Amino acid sequence: MNSSARSRLSADRIAGGIFVVLAVFAPLIFTEYWVATLLTQMLFLGVVAASLIFLSAYGGMVSLAQVSLYGVAGFALGNLTTNGNTKGLNLGWAEAPAIVVALLIAVLVAFVFGALASRSYGIYFLMITLVFSVIANLFFGQVTSVSGFGGISGIPIPDFLSRTAHPDRLYFVTLAVALLVYALLRYVARTPFGLTLQGIRDDPVRMSSLGYNVTLHRMLAFAFAGFIAAVGGILFVWWNAQIAPSTIGLNATIDVLVIAVIGGLYRLEGAWLGALVFVLINNYAQDVDLVSERFHTLIGIVFLVIVLVSPNGLIGLWERITAGPRRELPMDITQERGSAEPTPAG
Amino acid sequence: MPVARHTSRGAFWLAVTIAVLAFAIAGCGSSNDDSTSSSSASTPAQSTSTPAAAAPTDAPDPQPAVEPRSGGSGTPIKIAIMSECKGAFGSFDNQNMAGAIAALSQFAGAKPKNPNKPRDGFTGGAIGDHPLKLVGVGCGDDTSDTAIKEVRRLMEQLDADVMIGPLSGDESIAVANYAKQHPDKTFVDGSAGAQDTTLKVQAPNFFRFNGDGAQWNAGLGDIAYNKLGWKKAAVVADDYSFAWTSAAGFIAEFCAAGGQVTKRVFPPLNTTDYSSYAQQMPTDVDGTFVAVGGAGLIPFLKAYEQAKGPIEAKKFIGNLFWGTPGQFEQLGPRVSGAYIGGAGTAGDLDTPAAQDYATNIIGKWFKVIPPGKDAASAAPSTFTYGYYLNAWGLVKGLEAVKGDIKDQSKLQAALAKVELPAPYGTVKLDENRQAIFTVYDQQLYMKDGKLAVKTVTSIPDVDQTFGGTFSGSTPAPGRNFPGCEKKSLPWLGKAAPVKVVGG
Repeated sequence: MNSSARSRLSADRIAGGIFVVLAVFAPLIFTEYWVATLLTQMLFLGVVAASLIFLSAYGGMVSLAQVSLYGVAGFALGNLTTNGNTKGLNLGWAEAPAIVVALLIAVLVAFVFGALASRSYGIYFLMITLVFSVIANLFFGQVTSVSGFGGISGIPIPDFLSRTAHPDRLYFVTLAVALLVYALLRYVARTPFGLTLQGIRDDPVRMSSLGYNVTLHRMLAFAFAGFIAAVGGILFVWWNAQIAPSTIGLNATIDVLVIAVIGGLYRLEGAWLGALVFVLINNYAQDVDLVSERFHTLIGIVFLVIVLVSPNGLIGLWERITAGPRRELPMDITQERGSAEPTPAG
Repeated sequence: MPVARHTSRGAFWLAVTIAVLAFAIAGCGSSNDDSTSSSSASTPAQSTSTPAAAAPTDAPDPQPAVEPRSGGSGTPIKIAIMSECKGAFGSFDNQNMAGAIAALSQFAGAKPKNPNKPRDGFTGGAIGDHPLKLVGVGCGDDTSDTAIKEVRRLMEQLDADVMIGPLSGDESIAVANYAKQHPDKTFVDGSAGAQDTTLKVQAPNFFRFNGDGAQWNAGLGDIAYNKLGWKKAAVVADDYSFAWTSAAGFIAEFCAAGGQVTKRVFPPLNTTDYSSYAQQMPTDVDGTFVAVGGAGLIPFLKAYEQAKGPIEAKKFIGNLFWGTPGQFEQLGPRVSGAYIGGAGTAGDLDTPAAQDYATNIIGKWFKVIPPGKDAASAAPSTFTYGYYLNAWGLVKGLEAVKGDIKDQSKLQAALAKVELPAPYGTVKLDENRQAIFTVYDQQLYMKDGKLAVKTVTSIPDVDQTFGGTFSGSTPAPGRNFPGCEKKSLPWLGKAAPVKVVGG
């Protein structure tokens, strides 16, 4: 390991440490609105984006279906826990079994989606997952027995997490889940499964000839990422107390992709960095007269600038700053980089 | 190496796809406008005849304006207005704002910033010692998600104490649920008419001084069965809460009178091509009830003509959208003669209060309500009137606590008791904080070569339950509820003719 790599690693650790410390003490530093609304939103959007980045970085699969899976979990939880006064099935289950079943349903759907999509690559994979996303949106919009246009509102959240009990509890739970998700994704990437996945990402033909079941691995990775997205969906429903088809519409699908690309599609940390930028622009752009009606144009411009300046997103920018001018990357970093194909620009 | 080709090509196509999608979304003209001051869009005022009026059964007196005032040193009352500037009802944005601001001006001494553009907000105004402050205007798009996002911003980031709005059904259900979680804030509806908002959610701090969609259609089933002689009817309604509620009002009453609803068609909200839905409409029925609203109504009628031939007005009944100023004029002569529901509104009512409301309240505070209508003629719009009633109710509640809202539970207790001597009849609230009021049924006709609305009958004291058809324990109105059964309704056969301007 050369010295610049070491300095970058330690810079990473310092930055990550500061980020976590800031996050833990956020309720003391920021207003309630910031903590309970913006930062909580940043954390669960980060979780969803992380599921996308995991697929992209370690599996070479850029998926547009993550938002639909997060929606499946959210709608499932909504149908299971509501009690009589809203659209949907109103099954009135207790929270704990409902969460388990909602996650299971989402993973199952992810597995089916994965089975259908895992044989295709690149742009074809992207388009198939986009179709999943559209199907999920239309399904919940049209099937009024489980949702309908207006969605499910008044979804109960566990008492101890409610805003009336304490404004910051949901934030801390979301923070903890986000950190766990981060750790889990890093851990999985280092398991034999994760390493195989990276092998498949780099050369599916060679992995196949070595005897690995490429399709099965991609399917499992997709289902696993679906699980992560579903966790984000549960957090979203707790935060928003309702979910509607527009929650998982094309806009939301693109938003999560934009978050991942702004953050950096090849390192997990980028998910939360991108989510922070996105949430802040989303919230504050409306207060600026000139851009208030052109939020998507603004986020589009930010997106373009970031992609042009640093094709690897904000994380790529950070790496360039901390790693200094040299171009070559040490071995262990290359491994971690996921879809670290040589980037033509930048 | 095939794989290397995959990845580099993939990255390229990924970038292209994202760019195309991003531009597509930007091109949709999405906007999250909250600004209370933006560039002025002056629209030429079209002068149309102003509905005048003068005094049937329940006819409150005209309400004089209070002196302009700006309050003293008391804590400001922070008001947010949740309006609509995108989606199917985006064009009613200024009608909403005009209603709310006219009430705040008339009864709390505020003043519109721009008499030609209600969205610019208001200045001044006070309750007792406490000045009014407009902290923000929300911009909904008829989805519950956007509504909640905007409400969070208004109530949490901008820290409003009270909110007026929203416009449409599912939004109001979401807002009422939000209200439940925030008992320290108070909400009055705008013009949203989903039944669940009050009947099911029952948030103690959400008040609705306007009717729900079913109430608004009281009397139409009676007209269809007894006056027009329909025995079998079809229903077409947008596939969302408000239109389900609107259709429920017609179905409950038409079936109660003895009619049968043989087909129900539900195109999704924001549909642009209605041809497949028009094809599904049966022709072996005596008439069709249409609860397709907002931007969808005219495309639906055109698609129907394409599919089934010319529209016979006597075979159609429409809901409030058929008589909403700014929209119904475009329906054209094809629907002249059709009966329509209102929203507890009757612009041509011959009473001093109704006349005064159009000319001396809405017409006094505003000259133009974009897009391009003289203000007074928009007074009987569901949206103007709904926001007007609710803002007025809020003012009355605030007055009862002298503007002191440190403890909002006192304001909420006062609001529950508010009774409004409103232009089209007294409005009071039931135990779910839902309006009980007089409903008017109307008919479209041709006047000087233009389509116009004439009020024909009134039904006093219409409540949300339809004689027990709807309650907290019945299913919410939906594609299949209510069913079709003959029963007795409190007001069946009791509609009274009304005196209107010009006979």
